[in-house]
Amino acid sequence: MGEILQYFLTGLSLGGIYALVALGFYIMWEATRAANFTHGDIYMLGAVLAVVLVELGMPLVVGAAFAIAISALTGALIERVLVRPFNTDANAIGWMLTTIAVGIVLESATTLTYGPLGRSLPSPLAENAIRLGGAGFYIQELLLPIAAIGCMFALEAFYRRTTLGRAMRAVSFNRVTAGLMGINVNQIALYAYGLAAAIGALAGILIAPVIQAVPTMGALIGLKAFGVAIVAGISNARGVVIVGISYGIIEKFIEGYISTGARNAIGFTLMILVLLAFPQGLFGRKEVTKV
Amino acid sequence: MFRNLSRLTPKALLALSVSTVALAMSMTAAHAQKAEPCIAGSWELSGALAHTGLAIRMGIETAVDEINEAGGVLGKKLRVVALDDQGEPARAVDNARRIAEKENCIVMIGGFRTPNALAIRPVLTEMGQPWMGVISAGTRVTEWETGKNEWMFRTSMKDRWVTPFLLDQALERSKTKKVGFLYEATGWGQGAVPDLEAAAKAKGVTIVGKETFNIADTDMSAQLIRLRDAGADTLVLYVVDREANAILRSMERLNYRPTMVSAWGISAQLGQTAGKLTDGILVAGTYAWTGTLEPRAQKAWERMQKKFNLKHPGELVLPSGIANAYDAVYIIAEGIKLAGDFDKKKFRDAMYKVKYEGIIAKYDPAFEPKFDRHDSIIPTHYKLLAFHNGNLMRVEQTPYAMKK
Repeated sequence: MGEILQYFLTGLSLGGIYALVALGFYIMWEATRAANFTHGDIYMLGAVLAVVLVELGMPLVVGAAFAIAISALTGALIERVLVRPFNTDANAIGWMLTTIAVGIVLESATTLTYGPLGRSLPSPLAENAIRLGGAGFYIQELLLPIAAIGCMFALEAFYRRTTLGRAMRAVSFNRVTAGLMGINVNQIALYAYGLAAAIGALAGILIAPVIQAVPTMGALIGLKAFGVAIVAGISNARGVVIVGISYGIIEKFIEGYISTGARNAIGFTLMILVLLAFPQGLFGRKEVTKV
Repeated sequence: MFRNLSRLTPKALLALSVSTVALAMSMTAAHAQKAEPCIAGSWELSGALAHTGLAIRMGIETAVDEINEAGGVLGKKLRVVALDDQGEPARAVDNARRIAEKENCIVMIGGFRTPNALAIRPVLTEMGQPWMGVISAGTRVTEWETGKNEWMFRTSMKDRWVTPFLLDQALERSKTKKVGFLYEATGWGQGAVPDLEAAAKAKGVTIVGKETFNIADTDMSAQLIRLRDAGADTLVLYVVDREANAILRSMERLNYRPTMVSAWGISAQLGQTAGKLTDGILVAGTYAWTGTLEPRAQKAWERMQKKFNLKHPGELVLPSGIANAYDAVYIIAEGIKLAGDFDKKKFRDAMYKVKYEGIIAKYDPAFEPKFDRHDSIIPTHYKLLAFHNGNLMRVEQTPYAMKK
């Protein structure tokens, strides 16, 4: 019983990371029908910046806030410089190459300036594990699924109840019509990438006290989160969070009851099988195109 | 003259051609043996392993500076040529060719990664280039399958000898004699499995659980639950810092606290990042720069401290690797002196005659012309280090030494 609870709790934390990073893909996709493929490195950037700012003497919360703000600006900059010029029509794919390339640059630059080794982000919530029913967890870890669910509700409220949110939804429904209605589509895209980066950075900051911040921490998380977003159907925030958290829990049970080495193989195979059965994703809907 | 040549019979002409080519080749070969007074390295100077390249540079440059201040070797000052391979075998091969041909250095010093050392074996043989490893511990770096290693020497640990050492330490500390093995799923970690199994068989014990993990894994609960349920009270680890931190966090979650004896993938930096969780982890190594040092090592540390702007020995993230590099340079210098010339072949032959007392050990002799003795550091030189209060120290300086 204890081990089942342990796998569930650690899976919940891991799933929270996937969900938060995948939410970023959802936001970017909704606004531009493109995404920053280096979003995993934004998750890393948030963690690394928070460590550096705290080391420079900032209190944890202030350092985290600055790290999120800088990451959001980086996300917006990536949209302006590396996505927008290469996303000029529906079939454009140049943004894939440019965002992947900037991810490599970001990781290399971080290694050069920050160093290759991990550093910890001190947090009072990650000092001692709490034990429950034969399992253990850090309160810090539980912040991740809570943050994912919180961000999901906040996003829904933002999309429904604010002018900017409604404008973003309008752009996601039909970019051209939204533009004709007077919505500044480019500005919406800029905000969306900034918001996505802020949420990605938040995930990195929340997990850094438990796993250490290293320049290479983002690549695989980014890939898996993109897979999560696709499997969920990418256009459904609730679906993205549900699939993200579930995928984290499934991975832990695979590790526990099948094999650690088989985790990624089985996990990615599951993703492929789900997509074969549900080409639009588990929570996606088929897009109707008038001809 | 050409008219006379035309009068030669075909056989005579062939004999003349062969002898001319042979003369030219022997002259070229003789020229190639003459080397420059430089020590060249293909190291990980950038990228994710940049700290390892820096560690090697620290040990080598400190020793070279000392030697040059004392007048150099055979009246010549030694130079250090540092090339970056970013941990990639293909770049290491390119660098090895450049070092052997263009730089023509008397010796090449290897970097951190065993795959790089393995990749350059044919190049070193082809070019007749002596090589000295100071970190990469893969058994096959010096013990070639063909048994024909002529040019590769090492002043570092060797995996085939490390695993029995780790198992000895683990069994000595295990109350139940139930030892588990947790290792990374890389060539390094997986390569240790047969070595550990052989060592366990030789001692008549069974490893109660063998668990692996992937690079960048952040939670090891599943592996540790299985090891705990198998009754392992002591673990042998093949792990590096980042995953070691994940192991410690998972142990804290599970309240599972076995004794841990690790190969030297764990660096001193783990003590700073994982803090009190590291207390009591034992690490195999060759040297620790903490505590009271012998006068010679103290001088070397002070020089290093000044040159590389260090505040505390804890900043030496690879203490054993730095000491290996330091001793290796002195062994090389002794080899050159015994060779009497900057000649690669004479130098290679002289390495078997070197007897030298370094900061790690008394090398008597450093190497022998035998299959398994191209390693100057032998198991009796291995030391056990331990984390205590966030510092990696000699075990004798901590509460974790075995009471005799």
